[in-house]
Amino acid sequence: MRCAEKNMVRAERRRGAPVLAWVMALVLAMGMALCRPLPAAASPAALTVLSWGGAYERAQQRALFEPFTETTGIPVNVARYNGGLAALRRAVAEQDVPWDLIDMTRSEAMAACAEGLLEPLSSSLVAPAPDGTPPDEDFLPGAFGRCAITHSVFATVVAYRRDAFPGRRPTSIADLFDQRRFPGPRALQDTPAVNLEWALLAYGVPREELYRLLSTRRGLNLALKRLAGLEDLRWWQAGDTPSRLLAEGEVVMASGYNGRFFDAMVNRGLPIEILWDGQVQEHETWVIPRHAPHPEAARRFLRFATTTERQAELARYIPYGPSRQSAARQVSTHHDTGIDMRLHIPTHPLNAERAVTRDDDWYARTQERVGEYFHEYFR
Amino acid sequence: MLRFLGLVALGALIGGLAALAAVGFVAAVLWLNDLLLVSPRGRMMFAHPEALAIATVLVPTLGGLVVGLLHRATPERRPHTPADVIAAVQTRRGRLPVRAGVLSALSGLVSLGAGASVGQYGPLVHLGASLGSWGARLLRLDRSDDNITIACGVAAAIATAFNAPLAGIVFAHEVVLRHYALRAFAPVAAAAIVGHVIATNVLSRGALFHVADTVLPRPWEFAVFVLIGGLGALVAGAYMRSILGVGRLAERLPFSPSLRPAIAGALLGVTALWVPDILGMGQETLRFATIAGAFGGLELLVVLGLKLAATALCLGMGFGGGVFSPALVIGTLFGALCGTLVGGLGGAQDTFVFYAICGMVAVTAPVIGAPLTSLLIVFELTGNYALTTAALASVTLASPIAAQLFGRSLFDIQLAKRGLDLSAGRSRAVLQDARLHDLLSHDCVTLPPDQCVSEAVTRLSRSGHGEAHLVDAQGRYRSSVTLADLEAMREDGDGQRPVEECPSTPRPVLGPQASVWEAMRHLQEVTGEAIAVVDEAADGVFLGVVYETSIARAFLQHSDALRREEYGAG
Repeated sequence: MRCAEKNMVRAERRRGAPVLAWVMALVLAMGMALCRPLPAAASPAALTVLSWGGAYERAQQRALFEPFTETTGIPVNVARYNGGLAALRRAVAEQDVPWDLIDMTRSEAMAACAEGLLEPLSSSLVAPAPDGTPPDEDFLPGAFGRCAITHSVFATVVAYRRDAFPGRRPTSIADLFDQRRFPGPRALQDTPAVNLEWALLAYGVPREELYRLLSTRRGLNLALKRLAGLEDLRWWQAGDTPSRLLAEGEVVMASGYNGRFFDAMVNRGLPIEILWDGQVQEHETWVIPRHAPHPEAARRFLRFATTTERQAELARYIPYGPSRQSAARQVSTHHDTGIDMRLHIPTHPLNAERAVTRDDDWYARTQERVGEYFHEYFR
Repeated sequence: MLRFLGLVALGALIGGLAALAAVGFVAAVLWLNDLLLVSPRGRMMFAHPEALAIATVLVPTLGGLVVGLLHRATPERRPHTPADVIAAVQTRRGRLPVRAGVLSALSGLVSLGAGASVGQYGPLVHLGASLGSWGARLLRLDRSDDNITIACGVAAAIATAFNAPLAGIVFAHEVVLRHYALRAFAPVAAAAIVGHVIATNVLSRGALFHVADTVLPRPWEFAVFVLIGGLGALVAGAYMRSILGVGRLAERLPFSPSLRPAIAGALLGVTALWVPDILGMGQETLRFATIAGAFGGLELLVVLGLKLAATALCLGMGFGGGVFSPALVIGTLFGALCGTLVGGLGGAQDTFVFYAICGMVAVTAPVIGAPLTSLLIVFELTGNYALTTAALASVTLASPIAAQLFGRSLFDIQLAKRGLDLSAGRSRAVLQDARLHDLLSHDCVTLPPDQCVSEAVTRLSRSGHGEAHLVDAQGRYRSSVTLADLEAMREDGDGQRPVEECPSTPRPVLGPQASVWEAMRHLQEVTGEAIAVVDEAADGVFLGVVYETSIARAFLQHSDALRREEYGAG
């Protein structure tokens, strides 16, 4: 909230700028005939991007924001959130939106789009691949929504402390619920998403049937029953909590975003391992909120950030799968440590063998009801 | 050789068409289910509970109304089912009608789309068979080839819908052809393979009902599986009897037949407000029934009973659709009930899925009369060999017990009610279906009853026949007399008396609709050259005679054709 207020103030200031520039330009144009474009017009207002913070923001900073400012001269400010549409809904209703661009999960983008909170986007906005492949063929299927463009695929996975289970290691997502063979506290995200899927997978339900079964009261109860059966369960909300809990030894297994776990493993040397079985893949998209202060600059950034080169570059800082096939082919080594990043991105064939693709359409329409049911159950 | 290879190619072509039709049908049903708020996913994504409740009642009701109207356009006022396919093949009639085929597929589509508790494989099998038969007719192939192309369509439909090519081939042989001929095997296999390729590559679908690796059951559990088979036969019997019983009851209802499905739909919808599990094919219920703890014991019993009742109601009242998918659900629920009981008595819970699958096979195999197909479906659907062996234990008792108590399959029972008895095999079915009127001859001597004996003897001797048939002025048949009897009367000096006084042994007559089979039976009792054909319905009018030699010739011809079809190599 504090962040939003700050942005509001900044937005006020920005709105004043073009008027001033016009007055000055008028005066100068009248006075001097041989006048070049003024520095005031050349240094444009800053772009405000709402993103997820932490290691992810650091990677975006180095692969996207800094190069964008270098190329265009437009500074980028970053605000931080943990997902959710409440703040956006309020801001759009008050016609005072502090953000130009939001990094949003596809399911929330679908819901927000249906509520009319976002600007429509078209696939013609993004650049073709270096070899000329048009975007529609280059991007993953389902990457272009009505108001959202997928830029990467991340996964929610389970990570476990390497030293927690001497002599054995979890190999299946069912092991998350098996506290007899893998004893110790767990940490899971405080949302129905991912948890319900894993609970049903643990019953042996094939991944193709997950959302059909979760659509019934029986399926929901079955999944919740399995979750409620976990002892010493901690719920987390912010994306950097699980790796902290693992690092402090508070829990031995935790769910979390694969990029954050990678960061903890590689950059901070945390003794954890990722269990790729049952990883839930999700599309992460760029959206432009309705009433964004600088929609044109936002579009410019979107085109810049979704080029093959930038996508491949981002994957050198954080292991999220690029949404362009041309970029996925260019993924190379980690920028700082030289680790082969291809083995760490969720879309790598070895990791994706038993991956679940989140049914965003389902979540977009059921999120609130399922969420209420979930929180009611665990109250 | 070339002709045979052509038949195989035709089988593959028909397989492709039937597979595409099956894919389209299944996709259309899923789309309708989502759109009409029948599927759990569609219902969940729809956020208004009041409107959902209204739709739950309204959709099956209106669907029933549409189905009722569709059936008015078929000659029999009912959808065609696999039973009609079996009848066409078993009697070598072939030539499935286009109009009824299209209307039955439509009726199945609407019924399934609107959430009626019916199966989708029946309509798919009939659609595939119709496509095969139309192909044979377009190319002017003979009846044997028509049967083979029908089997090709059936195999491809099953291979695609279940993604189970082996089950498709065996189903076509076990249920439809009911004999094994190499000449038929190759085209049927080609069709099934094409269906399988389309299912796996175009739709990129894996095993439809995948069950992950399971622990192996303990030895004593196999005894329980056999027992489940025996009890499952009784459940299957109850299921078949209920469908037929509701059908009989429906006849007595004071509503027009076109309205019956709508009434069933309304009843179904109202019940589904409390137990939505009974709507549609019930794939979610099927999956839940294999998970220990998804249902309570009592809940299993309630859903099992309601699903059985709902299916009997929908099919008996005239919705179009199959009997297989509901039987899968009912059987799996029954198996889960057995598993819960065994678990409650201290048995193992980690083998729960085995009980569910054993129940599934025990109920479905008797209903479709196909133990081997059911086994292969389990194997190909679950991709699990251990489960298949357990299912084998279960089906061992299920099929024979049900066949003894109720009949070979629901299709056979239905056909027997329509007058086609397949219990004595195909040769009898063919002969029963072959009509006499082609053999009818007018080359015979007819005498008025008042003609005198000596004139009759003269007429008979000149005509070269050994017997004459007495027909009165109104054209009605009275009796038959032999030349020997007439001659004997004349010898006795009764030459001037009317022929009707001639003593004659009473002889059976045949109706105009009599079959070759019936004629053969009468031949055992008759000594003479021909049997009179009399239309009893038209007050006993004499139509002509059928010579014993032509009956024997017809019998041999049909037997030969069958033998060529069943034992010919190509």
